[in-house]
Amino acid sequence: MSAISLKINGKDHGPIEVRDDLSMNDFLREVLGMTGTKFGCGAAQCLSCAVIVDDPDGTSATMPTCTAPAMNFDGKSIRTVEGHASNGQLTALQEAFIRHFAFQCGYCTAGFLNEAQVLLERLEHQPVAREALEQTILVALDGHLCRCTGYVRYHEAVRDVILAQPARYLL
Amino acid sequence: MKSDCKRLILAFLFSCAAIIAANLMAGKALAGSLRLTLAPAENFAGIANAKAHSLALFAEIGKVLTSPRCMNCHAANDRPRQGDSGRLHQPPVFRGPDGLGLPAMRCPICHLATNFDPARMPGNKPWLMAPSEMTWEGKTLSQICVQMRDPKLNGGKSLADLVHHIGDDELVGWGWNPGIGRTPAPGTQEQAKALVQTWVDTGAECP
Repeated sequence: MSAISLKINGKDHGPIEVRDDLSMNDFLREVLGMTGTKFGCGAAQCLSCAVIVDDPDGTSATMPTCTAPAMNFDGKSIRTVEGHASNGQLTALQEAFIRHFAFQCGYCTAGFLNEAQVLLERLEHQPVAREALEQTILVALDGHLCRCTGYVRYHEAVRDVILAQPARYLL
Repeated sequence: MKSDCKRLILAFLFSCAAIIAANLMAGKALAGSLRLTLAPAENFAGIANAKAHSLALFAEIGKVLTSPRCMNCHAANDRPRQGDSGRLHQPPVFRGPDGLGLPAMRCPICHLATNFDPARMPGNKPWLMAPSEMTWEGKTLSQICVQMRDPKLNGGKSLADLVHHIGDDELVGWGWNPGIGRTPAPGTQEQAKALVQTWVDTGAECP
């Protein structure tokens, strides 16, 4: 057993005692009741369980939680799907996902949403040329599996958000 | 009708048990085919002929080099392999320019600092593929030997670098502590280092 403390969606949690073999996914879902993060394949292959990890250097990346021990997140700051909307107001990404009917069963949505959010934040600091945008989105969402609507609708939704504010995300 | 149902259930259960047993036996057979021990370098000291001595040492080192713990990351086609059977890595990841994967699928995203056995996830810091010039997959032990001792073919490594890599590198050392479900590399890292050092000392001969 170890005690972990971490920040989730800006809120401090812990110290909380966790078993050494407890996965981060079980910690979020079973210990904290944050069921927005899904358990998919259990082998880091579908990334439906991915959350955003914010590094102290200001960069962020997604990380699967099904194959990572909760202990590994001690001292870290993460964001889950529950942290996107605030005061009932959806983000532009969430609205675009709905507008494009990007998800059907919704199991993969949390992972896609987190990945797309990381992409937007990266583009704010490292904008790309319009010609490179399609490939940039493809590479960013690569690895996330969706079995319902396919990937085109997610891709189009993310592209829409970026093209709505070209000065913010593009060169 | 009830007895028919019972028979069906029993038949189903027996089938399941047979499948599980067959899988377990297959796994055991695979594990059994991997060599677990390594002869210490001193065992070869009695070989009088220097070349034969060096060749015998390399044959022993070859047990480590061809272990799935080494081969899976010294894989060809920029795709790592996994498991004792050396199947292609799933999810489909690729070497990338720095050996740490492509931008959206970086190795350390899943492979953390240590093994996480509950999820069968191996880990070490760092976790990356061997450089492309050190690809061994599909090569004979002789070809591997020629490649690894020649700085022009191995990315500029000296023989001393090789001893250090096999004997002291932390990621190589993981091969002897691979976590649940993976057969460790034969012997110990100390034994492997001694064998490579003695092979170098005896002329680094290749079969």
